Formats: sequence, structure tokens, C-alpha cells
Amino acid sequence: MSLPGLELTQAAEDRPHAVAPPSQIALNPGAEWRFEVEFGHTIKVKLLNGTAELFGTELAESQTYTFSGSKGAIYTWHGCELEVSAGETVTTTTVDGSTSAAGHGAGGCQSEYTSTDTPMMEYANMHFALESIREESQGSGKDGPRVLLLGPSNAGKTSLAKILTSYATKLGGQPLVVNLDPAEGMLSVPGTLTATTFRTMLDVENGWGSSPLSGPSPVPVKLPLVYSYPLPSPLDAEGSVYRPVVSRLALQVTERMAKDEEVQKTGIIVDTPGVLGSGNPGSLELINHIVTEFAITNIVVLGSERLYHDMVKQYDNKPSSSAAAVAFDERVSVVKLSKSGGCVDRDAAFLKKTRESQIRSYFFGNSALSTTSAITLSPSTIQLDFASLTVYNYTVVSTEDEDEDDYDPSNLNMGDSFLPGGGGDDYSEPKQESDRATPLPGIVGLSSNQTNHTNSSSFSNVPLKRVLPPVPTALENTLIAITHAPTTASPADVRDASVKGFLYVANVDAEKGKIMLLSPIRGTIPAQAMIWAKRWPDEVVGLVG
Amino acid sequence: MADYASDEVAEDYKCSLEDLISNDRFQISNLTVIAKENTEHAEAISKVLENHIAKTPPQSKLPALYVVDSIVKNVGTPYTLFLGRKMYTTFMNAYTLVDSQTRRKLDEMLKTWKEPVPGSLDSRPVFSPQITRDIETALIKARTKYLDSERLRRQPEISRGRGSVTPTGWQQTHPQSMSRANHYGNHGGIPKTSTPPGNRSDVDMAALHQDLERLIVAARAEFGNHPFNPTSQQRLKSLLDLQGIMQRQQLNPEEQKLVRDQLASFKFPQPTVAPAVAPAPNPPMPAPAPVSTPPVQSNPALSSLLNPETIAELLKATAVNQKPTPPPQIPNVLSHMPQIPPTTSTPQSAENPLIAALRMRGLLPPASAPPMMNSGASAPAGGLPFLIPGQLRSTPPVPTPQAPTPVNVSSTIPMNTSSMKIPRVALIVSLYEAKSNRCGTCGRRFSTTEEGREQKARHLDWHFKTNQRMVDASQRAQTRSWYVDEGDWIQSREVDDHQGPTDSEGNAEGAAGAEDASKQGPPKQWIRAPNDAMLRNTPCPICQEKFESTWSEEVQDWIWQDAVTVNGRVYHASCYDEVTKDGPAPRSFTPQARTGTPDSVLGKRKAEGIESPGQKVRIKTEH
Repeated sequence: MSLPGLELTQAAEDRPHAVAPPSQIALNPGAEWRFEVEFGHTIKVKLLNGTAELFGTELAESQTYTFSGSKGAIYTWHGCELEVSAGETVTTTTVDGSTSAAGHGAGGCQSEYTSTDTPMMEYANMHFALESIREESQGSGKDGPRVLLLGPSNAGKTSLAKILTSYATKLGGQPLVVNLDPAEGMLSVPGTLTATTFRTMLDVENGWGSSPLSGPSPVPVKLPLVYSYPLPSPLDAEGSVYRPVVSRLALQVTERMAKDEEVQKTGIIVDTPGVLGSGNPGSLELINHIVTEFAITNIVVLGSERLYHDMVKQYDNKPSSSAAAVAFDERVSVVKLSKSGGCVDRDAAFLKKTRESQIRSYFFGNSALSTTSAITLSPSTIQLDFASLTVYNYTVVSTEDEDEDDYDPSNLNMGDSFLPGGGGDDYSEPKQESDRATPLPGIVGLSSNQTNHTNSSSFSNVPLKRVLPPVPTALENTLIAITHAPTTASPADVRDASVKGFLYVANVDAEKGKIMLLSPIRGTIPAQAMIWAKRWPDEVVGLVG
Repeated sequence: MADYASDEVAEDYKCSLEDLISNDRFQISNLTVIAKENTEHAEAISKVLENHIAKTPPQSKLPALYVVDSIVKNVGTPYTLFLGRKMYTTFMNAYTLVDSQTRRKLDEMLKTWKEPVPGSLDSRPVFSPQITRDIETALIKARTKYLDSERLRRQPEISRGRGSVTPTGWQQTHPQSMSRANHYGNHGGIPKTSTPPGNRSDVDMAALHQDLERLIVAARAEFGNHPFNPTSQQRLKSLLDLQGIMQRQQLNPEEQKLVRDQLASFKFPQPTVAPAVAPAPNPPMPAPAPVSTPPVQSNPALSSLLNPETIAELLKATAVNQKPTPPPQIPNVLSHMPQIPPTTSTPQSAENPLIAALRMRGLLPPASAPPMMNSGASAPAGGLPFLIPGQLRSTPPVPTPQAPTPVNVSSTIPMNTSSMKIPRVALIVSLYEAKSNRCGTCGRRFSTTEEGREQKARHLDWHFKTNQRMVDASQRAQTRSWYVDEGDWIQSREVDDHQGPTDSEGNAEGAAGAEDASKQGPPKQWIRAPNDAMLRNTPCPICQEKFESTWSEEVQDWIWQDAVTVNGRVYHASCYDEVTKDGPAPRSFTPQARTGTPDSVLGKRKAEGIESPGQKVRIKTEH
């Protein structure tokens, strides 16, 4: 008879790894160990003594944490000693066939070093300043602070969001974290906008953690509300898709906040895509939309002085847009925080792999992580008639009018469909950008015709079209979002519907009109309206072996 | 040279190129394919491309350059060689003629040329670094010149538009030091590129920028070679900081000179970092006294920046010292600016970019910040600076009913940029020491109070159960659950694992442990799963959910847990109890986000409703 768990304990305990001698890293108080690990390589980090935290989430002593395909920083307030060793090389079949070699750093990191120059004190101050607002508003009937994080790509916005979230939960709060960056999924795949309440610890190894599974999970799962936004940049279609989805999400968040006392106390933290930090008129307009919809009270600008200036000009000390703003004299404050020197530019290839791994772990779990926290999921494949599904597709094109067929130098060899390059940061520029070249900092003004834009696009046609047979071959290797909307819903309802889950199209048989789908759960595919993520996230080849 | 065939190919290619007037991916890839198939005529095609780019109107230059880009990336040699020869001219000619938006696209493209082709095994950049570097240097030079002329063009407007606003006392000095400097410094209005540096009191800014750029490149390279060398690290950082300052601020001649001298000293590489003290007219101020004389404020910032060691101190010092800004002395300013039309503009829009820059660097408070904010910054923070955490920890934690509450201190932290820079190490106590009772598994902290201990006990319990269930779960397939819909999400509440026994009912298999523990008393109700397919698919009459078969080791048969037969019909025992006992009110249907018992999402109570009927799941039960 098999003894339950024998395999597991064996695997966890007798693991004679003699790859490379583990290196020890001693950190002084206030120092930070920054590391970059390639995909396909793993490192194991153990806290020997002292205290240490990864983006605000504390590491337990003498537990082994495994990292793969990540760039992170372990900070210590009190000083600590870490032990870093190489993990086994994971043989995930990389799509492009590139072999990722282990780097020369400790444990095979691509790069790793210790820095004493970190903005952690600023970030902690930010947390405590928010905490004082929370205390102040408590009992007065006022909502907790609503924080908007802005800044260019790779400025550390998401890391700051994690730090603020972790610290808030540490003090018993329940922040509601909203991810408005379609390039990076939070507790979901890329191409989504999500909102999640956090009460329990974040996952040290796995970013934000995991959405619910059918079985137990060593780190408490989080429950996200997910919306599909299958375009890489919020500016696509001039924000005409992004805006209504954000509004819908904000509506639910506001309602949750009104009903959930804990969330009301702690407030909201909104993470945004870097393109909003680029400061062009289109993104300023979207920022305004977000500030209004979420009744933002605190704007935090990371790493862009120009944007900070714009924000101060536009919002600082203005009444917030919440209903209670007048009663409590609630005002927006704009604060600039330093960008960490540890922020590294994640190149297009790395980001692509990150997206790919997010999609992979949605279906298959995180087998690459340490054995104690590895969860293997078993999705199932199903073949069905394409005609039986109600699939919608956004007919908008990215950025410019007809550039679906545009050539993009930063985006090469990526298959047939149009795929935007890189991190979606500098990728899209709205057309109304003026001709002035390289404006001096602080001279950019908001375009005065903001209202025109909002009005013109508020209730124009929803650019969602049903995809009718014959089945397009471009479906292959892309994701389809199953919404909660019924198949009979109008396009606007489908756009505004939250997402139930994702399917991956493994195969398209154009002749027979059949498609092979990978579904996270066995059984029939829910008969609901679906949105084809044709353009974003980019296709993942060979998810099903 | 080109033979007959080459001419023909070239002619064809030229025609196709002329059709390319917009950024059309298909045309571009088509042209790339043609180029690929005709590599023997690469030289001719390259020449056609060069000529075309040179001649075509500006709006068609970008697509044509994209063809080049596509060819060099997809085909590579020999095109990279042929096209590389004249790439500098081709690129620069195009760059000068196109508008700023296209320029940005060109910049982006150029960036990709410095990197290897994505997905390619070849780690070399697209074009040889020599080519891209030349282009980049030229672009930087052009940009610096542009910035300079722009700055000069703006100069008069700025000094005129400013005085009326001046929310801070700093500005009153500005007219004297800065604008005067600029007046006699650069009266010509055109940057004097030919002026040899050092001969004159004013400094050639374009050259300075160039030098700086070059030094940064060098420092980067050095940093790349010796990433662990703190001096190279610091040096790079200080150079970058300096560059930032120079791009943002106008410098008076003294400062310019200072920068130049400092750069000159950098130019002769020394094993260690350049002199710690900059050869400055104003000595650096390691620990600046409270700023009483505003005029020097910009100078120490600059000179100290050149000294890597003092950057951190300076930041701290400026953060602390900026608060006692003298009150605005507007009359004074006005007297310097008698010619201002009083209605020039609103405070915001007329703001001096220099002020703005300073403000953005946090060296000046935000323009419209309420005065109370500023004054508040100094008050509480000064009370507890630089407390060493170690000291605090050494005091034994006293298990008083209330946790130590250093959090109170936070209630006075003002929300503004300058306040963020003040170190308040003492506050960290609330994140760590205040909760010294640490979970060994996940690092979670609890307070040492009675309550905290209880919470921790429950938390450990949760770990234990989860581990048990992980073991169970490892034997069967797990899947990702569907995400909840809006209504459920709004109703859901995060349940913490240490919040005691929350209603652990249901949860098909996962919560078995919890359920067993709580229901150990009465014997569990179960029946053997019927063999008849009809019966097996009949749901519980009360909750209308199907039963789930589980394998019992003890009975050696498939059983239905939590089932009872009443009058020939099978009910869920718990459902039946609820209905008949009139006991606890019907379960509230508030969905729980079970972060504590993470096996089920919502509303999945008796059975896996989604599972296909009759499907047998092997589950360990304790019997």
C-alpha cells in the first residue's frame, strides 16, 4: 500500500545536490541583495539568520525559497545572512529553442550584487504615511486611502505595490489591489485587468500568489476578479476599450469597498502600465479617467519627474472625486518616490518568457518551484466544433488606424499575427503627439481638449465582433477568455463581463471546423460568451506537448 | 560589379520600393523575402535601398528604413555588410528630414540594432557597434545643441514670466545669480561649439554634454567589467546624476566651469575615484547648516554631486533642511522685476522650469502644498531619528495585553515628497519587533500577546492541515478553479487562517481533515455508493447536488460520505439534519473566499458539481 506523502517527503528531504557550493551572502542593515535568474535555471535562497524580505514579504528562517526566471531583491532592515545555491536546471522546452545558460553569479544567477543604496526607507515612509491616513479615517466613516502608482516601465511600480500590500497586511489590513497593466497579469494571465483583496501573505517565490485551485495550496490562494483586455497597451484604440473596462472594474471595486469594512479601512492600491507614465496626452487622459473612477486620493509617481510635475499641477490638493470628498474635505496628494537603482530593464525576450510562464502556470501550475510549494495542475484537452462557441474578437487595431499590418522593428520573428514588442512601454504613441521634439521637463501641458475625447468615445460602437465560422487558423496558440456573460449578451455586455477562465487553442482543424482546446477544468466548456485574445497576450507555441 | 541580372533585380526592387509609401507589414516582409532570395545581388539591392531612402520624400523614409531593418535582421549577412557601409549617412540624412514622431521610431529602431536579433542564436548585435555608436554620438550631439538653443531661446521669457509667482523665498535670488550669468555668459544666443573650453569664463555646454556622455559610456563599460567595485559603481551613479542635473537645470558660469573641471579630472582615469573634494569655488558642505542664505542652495547640490561619497548625506540633508524655507518676499522680487505685466499668467503655467526641476527633485516643496503640511514635516520626525533597531530588540518583550504600539508615531507622518525622504527607522519596529512571534514555516509574524499566541496556534494548525491535504492532493489531479463572477467577488470576504474555526462545512474532499476533526464525536454517516447508474445520478433532494463517490480503505468499497437513506431516498446527512432539526439557521450563502482552506472557491459544498457524473475520485478518508 502506498503511504501517503512518502514521495513528497523523500523528494523534499534527501536531495543530494552537489552542483556548486552554496555561497553565503551577509547583508548589513539596510542593504539589499539583487539577483537575476534566467528562465530555465533555478536558484535556492535560504535565510540563515536575521530578517529579510522580498518586496515587503518576509522570508522565514531556514526555509528554502526557489526562484526561476525572476529579477528580484532581498532587503534587510536588521541585517541577515543568506545562503544561495544553484537549483536543478528545469527542462522546460523554451519555445524559441534558446538555451539559457547559468550565469556566473552566486548560485548561477545571471547577475547578482549587494547594494546599500535603496529607496526602501522612502517606501516604508509611504506605507506609514498611508497607515496614518488609515488611522485618521477610521471611525470617521471616511474610506481608506486610494493609491495610484504611476511611472514609466521598469520603474518598480509593481514591486512598490507589493511592498505596500505586504506591509499593510502585516499590520492587519486588507488592501484591495488593482492591476491595470494588461502586459502583466496579476494572479491571472497577461491581457487582463484584475482586482484582488489581500489579507494573507504574498507568495515569496511566485509574485502575488495563486488564484484558487481545486486542492490545497501551501500559500493561501487569493481571489481575483478578472476582466479581459486582450490588447497590449491601454492606448490601443485610443483607450476606447480600456476606459469602459476600467470603469466596470472600478464600479465593482467601489461596491466591494462599500460593503467590506476591512477593505474600506485599508483602501485601494492601483498598479498601472508604464505607458501611462510616458506623459503624452492620451495617457494623461487615461490617468484622469482612473483617478476619477477610483476616486484616487494619493498619487505616487516613481522615476519620472516630468510626470510628477504634471500630476502635481493637475491633481495636488484638489478634492478627490469620491462622493464623500466634500463632507470630509478629502484632497488628492501627489508624492514622488525615488526609483530603485535595482530596477533593471526587462528586455522583450524576458518579458515574453514571463508572459509565457504566467500562461503556463495558469494551466499547469508551478512545477518549477521548490517541492514544498510546487503544484502541478492537470488541465484537460477537448475537441469541439468551433461553431458551437460564441467567440468575440476586438476589431480595433493597435495604436494607429490601420497598423495591424505594420512593421515593427522591435518585434521580429514572432509569427504571423501582429504582436507588439517589448514591455508595452514605449511601444505606442498616440497620434496627437505634437511635433515638438524632446520637450524640456516641466513644460508639457495637458491638452485642453480632454473632454472632447471622453465624449466622443464614450458610447460609440463597441468594437467587438463575433467570430463566425470558418474557424480562423490564427486561433492556434492563442487564448480565449470565457466571460460570465451569456452567449446572447450584447457586445457591450461581453466587453464589460468579468472572466471565468481561459482556454488555450492547441490546434485548429480548418477543414473540419474543429478546434482542440486546453481547459483548466475537466468537463464541458461553459456555454458563455468568449473573447478571443487574438493580439494579446502573444501566442504561446507548444503549450500542449 | 553588378552584372546584367543584378541590374534587372535592382530595377525590380526599386519599383517595388517606390510603391512602399506606408508602414505596411506585408509589403515590407515581401521586400524582405525578395532580398533573401536574391542574396547574390545583395550589393545591388543594398545600393537601391540606400538611394531610395536618400531620395524618397520624408514620409516614406521610415517604411524604407523598416525594410532595411527587416532585411538585416531576417537575412543578415551579406546585407549587414553592404548596408552597414553607408548606414551612417543613410540614417542621419533620413533622421534630419523626418518629424519628431518618426525620429522617435528611428531611435527605437536604432536601439534594436545594438542588440542581437531576438530569438537568434547569434549574440552579436544587428549592426556592428562601430556603426551604431557613430550614429548615436551624432544624435546626442545634435540633441544637445537643440536643447541649448532651446534653452537660450526660452531664457528671456522665463526670467520675465517668473517673478509674479514665486511661492517660495528661493526665487528672489534667482534673478541675480542665474539670469545675470546667462546674460553675460551666452549673449550671442548661439552655442559656441568652436570655443576651446577653458579659455573663457563661459563653458561650451554642447561639448560638456558630449564629454559627459562619453564618460558615462566609459563608466558603464567599467562598471560592466567590475560590477562589484564600489568605486566604479559610485562613479557611474554620480556621472548619471550630474547628467540629470545638467539636462534639467541651467548652470551659471561658475557651475559650468566647475563641472568642466571635474569632468576633466575624470578624463584621466585613475585607479581610485577622482578627488573626493571637487575643485569648487564653494566648498562642499558635508553637513549643511540650516539653509539661511538661499543663494547657495543650488551650488552645494551640484558640487556635492560630483563627490560620490556625499550624495547620500546631501539627500538627507536637503530633505531635512528644506523645510525652513524663508517666507516669500514678493515685494523684493517685484522690485527686481519692475517690467512684469501683472496679468502675465497663472502661477502654474508660468513656472520656471528650473524651479520645477528642483521641485521634482524634491529640493523644493510642491507648489501648491498647503503650508501646514510643510510645517508638520519637521515636528514629530525629529523626535526619533536613527534609532538603532538592535537596541530596541534587546529590551525583552513584555507580554502586556496591548501590543507595543509604535504605530502611533505614524499618525503624524505627512504625505508629501520631502517627508518621504526622512529616515524613520524606528517605525520599522511595528513591522518586525512589535510582532516577534514568528511562524517558522512561512515567516508570518504574530504578537506575543495571549491573542497573538492563539492566532499563531491556529495558524500552525492551518499549516499542518494544509500539509496533510497537500499529501492527499498529490495523489489526484488538481485543477485551477474558475474565477468568480462580480456578485460573488463583491460578497466574498477574505478569511484568514488564524481566525479560528470558520464554518468549514462542505468542501467536498479538501476539508475532510477539518471536518473530521470537528465531527469526531458522532460516527460519520455514509452509505455504500449504489451500483445502479440511475440511483447514482439522483441528486440529494434538498440541495439538488449529486453525491460523490469516495473510496474507503476500511470498507474496501466506494462510499458516499455524509449520506443517509431515509424512506428509500438518499439525502446528504447534513442537509437532512438541517432541515429536520430546525437547528442552526440555514447556512448563510455568503460565499467565502477560502484563503484559509484554499481547496474550494465558492459555493462548492457537497460535491464537485462540475465533475461529470459517476466519475470516481479516489480519496483517502479516515475510517
